[in-house]
Amino acid sequence: MTSSRSAWVFAWLLLAPAIIYVLIIVAWPLVETFRLSFTDASLRKTVNYVGWRNYEKIFNETFLTVITRTFIWTFFSVLLKMVIGMCGAVMLNAAVPGRNLFRILTMPPWIVPMAIGIFMWGWMYNGQFGMISGLLQRFGIVDGPVAFLAYGGSAFWATIITDVWIGVPMVTIYFLAAMQAIPKDLYEAAWTDGASRWTRFRRITLPLMAPAIITMSMLSLIATFNSFDIIWILTQGGPSGQTTTMIIDTYQVAIGSKKYGEGAARAVVICLFLSLFCLAYFRVTRRLHTMDKA
Amino acid sequence: MNTLFRTSLIGIALAGTTALPALADEISWIYCGDRIDPAHEKYIGEWNAANPDYPVVPELVGWAQCQDKATTLAAAGSPVGIAYVGSRTLKEFALNELIVPVPMTEEEKAAYYPNIVETVTFQDTQWGVPIAFSTKALYWNKDLFKEAGLDPETPPKTWAEEIEFAKTIKEKTGKAGYGLSAKTFDNTMHQFLHWVYTNNGKVIDAEDNIVLDSPQNLAALQAYKDITPWSVEGATAYEQNEMRAIFLDGQVGMLQAAVSTAFLLKDTDIDWGVTDLPLGPDAQGPGTLMITDSLVVFADTGVEEKATEFAKYITQPSIQEEYEAGGLAGLTPLRPSPAVDAMVEADPYWKPFVDGIEFGGPEPLFTDYKGLQNVMIEMVQSVVTGSAEPQAALTKAAEALEEYK
Repeated sequence: MTSSRSAWVFAWLLLAPAIIYVLIIVAWPLVETFRLSFTDASLRKTVNYVGWRNYEKIFNETFLTVITRTFIWTFFSVLLKMVIGMCGAVMLNAAVPGRNLFRILTMPPWIVPMAIGIFMWGWMYNGQFGMISGLLQRFGIVDGPVAFLAYGGSAFWATIITDVWIGVPMVTIYFLAAMQAIPKDLYEAAWTDGASRWTRFRRITLPLMAPAIITMSMLSLIATFNSFDIIWILTQGGPSGQTTTMIIDTYQVAIGSKKYGEGAARAVVICLFLSLFCLAYFRVTRRLHTMDKA
Repeated sequence: MNTLFRTSLIGIALAGTTALPALADEISWIYCGDRIDPAHEKYIGEWNAANPDYPVVPELVGWAQCQDKATTLAAAGSPVGIAYVGSRTLKEFALNELIVPVPMTEEEKAAYYPNIVETVTFQDTQWGVPIAFSTKALYWNKDLFKEAGLDPETPPKTWAEEIEFAKTIKEKTGKAGYGLSAKTFDNTMHQFLHWVYTNNGKVIDAEDNIVLDSPQNLAALQAYKDITPWSVEGATAYEQNEMRAIFLDGQVGMLQAAVSTAFLLKDTDIDWGVTDLPLGPDAQGPGTLMITDSLVVFADTGVEEKATEFAKYITQPSIQEEYEAGGLAGLTPLRPSPAVDAMVEADPYWKPFVDGIEFGGPEPLFTDYKGLQNVMIEMVQSVVTGSAEPQAALTKAAEALEEYK
């Protein structure tokens, strides 16, 4: 009994630094944000509790539009990352000459500092000096400069494309690793039975990669939902708010307008959505783990 | 052991008897930019030599984060001594008791160009000391004027001419007649306010009434709509410095910009001119938006008095002239002086930047200037992109501004 108790104490002692760290770095700011969301905190030195007023205030038509836009932005960004990442993994897994070189070439978007990559895309989208507009004009597709960040629709897709460019390498490498773990004899048996390349992919690769696809989708969903840098650097949420997602809106209110209480309420809503995603992620991974064991 | 004991005792005795130097009360200064101006560096050194108990310690912070950093530190209860901020924030800071007043004597006020003191005045008190000043004038590309069949020596004097010339350039050369910038960026509001102040318009009056929805401002917004088709395609993708790059590339006929553009134009092959901003139908004379940055003294630092003294010291006429003459920042002079007259005579391109001051106006002071900025940008963008008519956009913006005044 004494021995098991001392083992228990020892275990807690080992865990204590990590627990204290998490409490200070994660739990306390979360609790503080939650508390702030019920106040009118701003630049004023006095802070009053205002109950649910901040939440009532944010759930107006504009914020609901922002929520919807955030989900659409996230959906397309994650979908494209998964599809392109899968295609990339298949190509990199194929026995083609120079495969290692292609693997290296996949990495730059991931290696280049994110801000630099985003500025680079900003220049490419530029109507006057940008490469894309220049090429379109040269090939006669358009008859004048096209500023991709000038219009709501094109700016929205431009930010998605940049996010996909940055996110694809990680997805590709993750999928490639999962693909390489699939036993080769399965493919050999299928090939012997006359299965086509597409059938082998559909019947062997995809089912066996399902856990990796689901896990990556969930992780990508969480990261993309909170993506700030890309939109902020490219458009600052404009034009006319057409690329304003929840995280941009929260920053504008909390840091831009210094309405810390209202900003905190928005942050809590984001936190709730992310918690739901995390919950789904844990449930899915647990189910996959159970299936693996079975 | 004895030796160790003795040494320790001597050490303790010395530590107890040695007088420690008194700690100086630093005046921390959040200095915006990527380098400290040589003039400021020199005079900070002189101040520190004369005031060893109150040394000024500047901290360089990039323009993008500068103001947010000073504000966040103050809001978090650890304010810096002084900071370089846009004067538009003074009302917000003052109402929230983050800064202390820096009243000016009548003599000090009289030394500035007209309307400058108003940019730092709220409730009849000055809340900052102007340190940087910017006005705008109209640059035109004489080569493009020639190519379009216009007289290259005759720039537009009125909005109507400006729109007409822009149209001619676009139609005759295929290049943009005007550089309209309307990105989601603070200077989109500034650019529009130049039009407001060249038509005797206002956003908010002295009694804090929103007067945005006026015939003068409607004319300005209508002019924006009229000049858009002849401007650079996709105005909402560019802020003023990005538009300036296009002008410097010879792709734009006319651009309203600061004096720093003249310095850059000297390095190009463009044949250019600069003149007063064209006037709207209700203008009383040359106008411009007058943007000032100020040194503000934060409250609750314990060094407010000395910080105020330093703010006045570093902006005194002789030092300020040296700072402005350095030319690094491309600033319009804050005070008239024989040196300014000599500068205008030597480089006539300075003249329109000084001319506009007479009927110029300040950035409107609001309690939530970001709120003001967002509303104004939304208004401009909705007209430029054609999603709203000028009158509807103006009325909507005027209503929205009530929340932020």
